[in-house]
Amino acid sequence: MSRRIRSLQLRLTVELAALFLVASCLAVGGLIYSASVTAGSLADRELGLRAEDLAGYVSLDENQRPRLELPPPLKQAYSAAAQQSVFAIRDKDGHLVEASTSEIGAMIARWPQADSEPRYFRLIKFGPLEQDYSGVSIRLDSTAGPLSVLVAEVSGGNQLVHSILREFVFDIAWYVPPFVAVALLLAAYSVRRSLLPLRAASARASAIGPGSIALRLPEADVPTEALPLVVAVNHALGRLEQGFLIQRRFTANAAHELRTPLTIITARLDTLEGNGQLLALREEVARMNRLVEQLLCVARLDSVTLDASSPVDLHQLAEEVVGSMAHLALSASRSIALTGADHPVLVTGNAAAIADALRNLIENALAHTPPESEVVVEVGPEGTISVQDSGPGISAEDRPHIFERFWRGKGVRANGAGLGLAIVMEIVRAHGASITVSDGTPRGARFDLLFRTA
Amino acid sequence: MRLLVIEDEDRLSGILKSKLGEIGFTVDIAGSAEDAGIALELINYDAAVLDLGLPDGDGLAVLTAARRAGKALPILILTARDAVEDRVAGLNAGADDYLTKPFAMTELVARIKALLRRPGGVLGMTLEAGNVRLDTVGRELTIGGMPVRLSRRELAIIEQMMRRFGRIVPKSVLEEKLYGIDEEPDSNPIPVHIHHLRRQLDAAGAHLMIHTIRGVGYILAETKA
Repeated sequence: MSRRIRSLQLRLTVELAALFLVASCLAVGGLIYSASVTAGSLADRELGLRAEDLAGYVSLDENQRPRLELPPPLKQAYSAAAQQSVFAIRDKDGHLVEASTSEIGAMIARWPQADSEPRYFRLIKFGPLEQDYSGVSIRLDSTAGPLSVLVAEVSGGNQLVHSILREFVFDIAWYVPPFVAVALLLAAYSVRRSLLPLRAASARASAIGPGSIALRLPEADVPTEALPLVVAVNHALGRLEQGFLIQRRFTANAAHELRTPLTIITARLDTLEGNGQLLALREEVARMNRLVEQLLCVARLDSVTLDASSPVDLHQLAEEVVGSMAHLALSASRSIALTGADHPVLVTGNAAAIADALRNLIENALAHTPPESEVVVEVGPEGTISVQDSGPGISAEDRPHIFERFWRGKGVRANGAGLGLAIVMEIVRAHGASITVSDGTPRGARFDLLFRTA
Repeated sequence: MRLLVIEDEDRLSGILKSKLGEIGFTVDIAGSAEDAGIALELINYDAAVLDLGLPDGDGLAVLTAARRAGKALPILILTARDAVEDRVAGLNAGADDYLTKPFAMTELVARIKALLRRPGGVLGMTLEAGNVRLDTVGRELTIGGMPVRLSRRELAIIEQMMRRFGRIVPKSVLEEKLYGIDEEPDSNPIPVHIHHLRRQLDAAGAHLMIHTIRGVGYILAETKA
């Protein structure tokens, strides 16, 4: 059963319904049995009375032979139901005194004399009607001496049983279906109620991701039967978190450890005088520096929950970031500009993280915009920052992938590690902000960030 | 001129010492917060370079202790890029400038020189950028050795730019600096002064160029060869 029915609620309902069905059958069966027992003993008593009645009407005739003399109404009654109600009477010598039908007369002739103890019997498919009879044979005393009296009645005259059952159905059994229905509803409701904490646990479980590995399933209110599972899952999560943290710490430590030698290499290269090869080497080291910075940034975003609840002035922030990156743009023969709102634009967030995001977007734009063109950063009064370049733009098929870690567009110079936009996305997510990519006007790519205003 | 470099990484402090020594500084190295505290107490340095990540304590503690002891020497802090909070805390604790690691040696030298040229700094009052020299006391500008006449406002602007050579000078800073000079009641807006300055620099054959960063400010940079 458990293999087919996976829902606890349904399973309990089905099982309870089956139980109620069996119980109802047993109750009805028991009722029928006891009703027929009652009906049987009533019928037996009636047969016995009738036998005594018949014996009372037997007297000796003029030849000193026993003879049945029924009063006219009784005689009429017996002959009206001649095949339903049969009887036969024998005297003490076994001679037939009277038989209601010839078949019963012929049959009783083959029977031994009756005893004073009543003997009940059944006749199966007897007589011309081929009906079942139940009857009694008993020895009774009469004015004509001891007699053997047999009385039988077509059985199946169980109207009594029917009426008892009818009474039962109408008086008592009607409340069974509503009772069963209420019981089933109660069972389903109780199952649902006791599983509610598990639903809460499921909701919590679906919120667990790489950024929220410290979350655990709530153990309070969980039914004791399900508690071991929840506890075991929490323990498993704990072990996974440990592994995850080790992994993260490794990334952060590795990047951190790389930084000191890189600083030394950078400083040493700076002190060298040299040719084009040295310049190329410096560029390469600068790229490596950038990569290590980004790796650290990713590791930090992964491991620390960003406090994004402070008021941040987007305009001031953009002014600082654009200003600090201006020399980078100029040295690459590109320019950069800040447009839009000329007054404070307050949003809720983390200034350092938003600055990081903007820096990455600008770096990305500077890498794609052609020489002598301008990267435009625009701050909107509604809490938006956009960064637009004049490069080739981002094709529709690439757009879903650009925020993935280490993703790089086809045919793009292997300039970055593909971490910049992933970092932007992480920061946007931590702020509950949104980012959209579109075509720039008249060309290029445009990124729009929308923050919650403070 | 005597500098204190507070840096626990021997190889890095070695490079710093030799490079700064080459251009005429006497450099002492302190490898720990404790050594730094003692050195700052004993010797009147002209400037200090402080790495915030020290093995025996927070570099910030060294900074606050020095300031509390009344040391007014310019201090430049070195921080990791990811420790933004450190940077802010450092400036709040009385640092004069900061550089993020890894840094270019030329940048470090330029920053140290800029600090020493501040009012009260030991490097005197002459600013140099390319073939342009500005005597900040005599208010005299020479380009390639030839004096160039500029208005007070233009001198103030070029001074700010030369102090922050190669770095952005925000409009707001210029506006603030010009606010005190109100020789002309209805003064020209800054872009007009910049325009005029550019023409002057160009005409005198300066190897400098003023770049406009729209919406932010200006950068004075050497003309590319």
